[in-house]
Amino acid sequence: MTATSRLPSGFYRVLAFLALVAAVVAIFALIEPRYLSMRNLTAVTRHMAANGLAALGLTFVVVVRKYDLSFPGIASFAAMTIGFLIAGGYSLGAAIAAGLGVGIAVGLVNGFAVAYGRLPDIVTTIATGSIVGGMAFLYTGGRTIFQNFMTSGLIDLNDIRFLGLNASFYFLIAIYGVAYLVLHHSRFGASFRAAGENPVSAHLSGIPVRLYTMGAFAVCAATAVLAVVLILAESGTADTNEGANFLMPAYAAVFLGAALLGGASIPATLAGTALITILLDGFSLLGVPYYYSDGVVSLILLAGVVLFDERLRREAAFLMTFLGFGRKIGETHP
Amino acid sequence: MTEISSPMRPQMSFAGFRAIGRWWLLLALIASLLAFAAGRPQMLDSGNIVTILRSASIMAIMVLGLTWVIAAGKIDVSFMQIAALANMTTAGLLAQGSGWALAALCGIAIGAVVGLVNGVLVGRMRLSPLITTIATGGVCASAAAAIGAGTSIRIDDTGLLGDFLAARLGPVPLIALFVAVLYAVAWWMQERLTFGHYIYAAEQNEEALVDVGVPVHRLLVLVYLISGVCASVAGVLLAASLSSGQPMIGSSYFIDGLTAVFLGGMMIRIGRPNVIGTATAVLLLAVLVSGGALLGWPDYQREIIKGALLLAGVAMAVRMGRALDGFAKGGRS
Repeated sequence: MTATSRLPSGFYRVLAFLALVAAVVAIFALIEPRYLSMRNLTAVTRHMAANGLAALGLTFVVVVRKYDLSFPGIASFAAMTIGFLIAGGYSLGAAIAAGLGVGIAVGLVNGFAVAYGRLPDIVTTIATGSIVGGMAFLYTGGRTIFQNFMTSGLIDLNDIRFLGLNASFYFLIAIYGVAYLVLHHSRFGASFRAAGENPVSAHLSGIPVRLYTMGAFAVCAATAVLAVVLILAESGTADTNEGANFLMPAYAAVFLGAALLGGASIPATLAGTALITILLDGFSLLGVPYYYSDGVVSLILLAGVVLFDERLRREAAFLMTFLGFGRKIGETHP
Repeated sequence: MTEISSPMRPQMSFAGFRAIGRWWLLLALIASLLAFAAGRPQMLDSGNIVTILRSASIMAIMVLGLTWVIAAGKIDVSFMQIAALANMTTAGLLAQGSGWALAALCGIAIGAVVGLVNGVLVGRMRLSPLITTIATGGVCASAAAAIGAGTSIRIDDTGLLGDFLAARLGPVPLIALFVAVLYAVAWWMQERLTFGHYIYAAEQNEEALVDVGVPVHRLLVLVYLISGVCASVAGVLLAASLSSGQPMIGSSYFIDGLTAVFLGGMMIRIGRPNVIGTATAVLLLAVLVSGGALLGWPDYQREIIKGALLLAGVAMAVRMGRALDGFAKGGRS
């Protein structure tokens, strides 16, 4: 995975991506005219908000070349924590803050184990995800929480609209904007990405690689909690497996985006999320049964990583240089 | 591997300490069995032992191939969904009136195909093992649910396979003996054939292995293929054992399978997954589940315990593995 900031190739990739989105939308609109309705646009943007938030944190983890499989468990645990506190009469702000607190705490444990304990990321996060997923049952023994949800103002978060779109979508765009500036246009972001590209030389350049890695896991946990808050607001109940549906779309968004735009980055994840949400929403509008959705997302993800395989990309880049488009073959991570 | 790398390893001074380090998982198994038996004497009833052995046998078949995938330094998170797909394929074909032999073969064939796809994508195309198997696992899960249109499929006649699962030789179910033989063969393959040596070598340094002319790609394809076949055989056995096809069966085996392999990696060849370790860990998990049920622990407590075990297993495997070959790898990575 190389950085995306080379403008010319990135520009063509963005064009190609927009063309792909337009083609997908056109196909859906031809089959089902309702696809272009305002109502559907609202639905797409709302679904995008939750998936996009979950994928955003994962992007940070992937940028430092790690994986996190615990965020669905963290989201479930945080959802039950928030639900339990709201049911107990605490204010919405306090409940969400507590949810963020427990989520970030687990994220820090993950990060500490992986960065400082040097444990393998995949298995460690599977284990912590399983632990916190089990802890989601602690509050009620597995029963759904819904008390006080109406009066707490949580549901209202789902209903605030502005220019026909949900507030959550604007929140998503704003947080992506901040993440973009931090990761791609700040000194901190540059050293953060360097920590992922080559941890050894980053370490020798004085970058606190381990601290950044730990931070990435904490960010991933935090955005997963924010995403599940949106889901809670939408459904009006807190369930013990509230976060389970985040895993596939988040991974697909990050890696499909990386495949489309040539490397894991904030815009790439946003693009991946948009494409996947458009597709999933279209399929559900066409009445495709729910159990196909994971399969569809998986196939898209697989197609994305196969078609944009690094070797294929390198060969394509070679062909481009050969044909005189002038771009040097990018040095890739070994 | 032990013979090959021992000159590089720092010699441990206490042979007894080393033996405990290598066999402590077995001690943990015996200790937990005795502890549960002290609390609930029904634990050691022959009926309960048979139940434990039977569920452990199916689990052991499912994760045999996974052990080698992880030993080769890769990961497979699609194994439980392959089992679910094989399970539903078998149940679906039986519901349509085909015989057990055909249904079981089709289930296993599908598992082999998915394993082969995993192997080609990871071994040949060098894609990320995690992303690849997340995706193929997702496809399998969807396909499994689609076969039953989202619900389970009942099987009226469990056929010969049902008889095989029910059969016992004295106090031991036949399937457990079968698995014991299977694991003995696997141990022999892992220890005595170049196949096994190359697996551990691939984990250490894949490029070096390519340089000396070992067909690593083919090895990885083979290892993933074995994992797919093992998982699907377990899925077919589950169809007979549960007298139904259950599309959601995968998620319950996910943590257990990985926990078994990584806990097993802390035994005998410390820091390296191996088949005897996996078998012991599978038994330990089955004892925990059974004992926990007898003591009335709720499901989620067992999940938390399993997660904690997995974490402890990985932490210790990594620590001990690093302490042992830290010098060979030149200290810090």
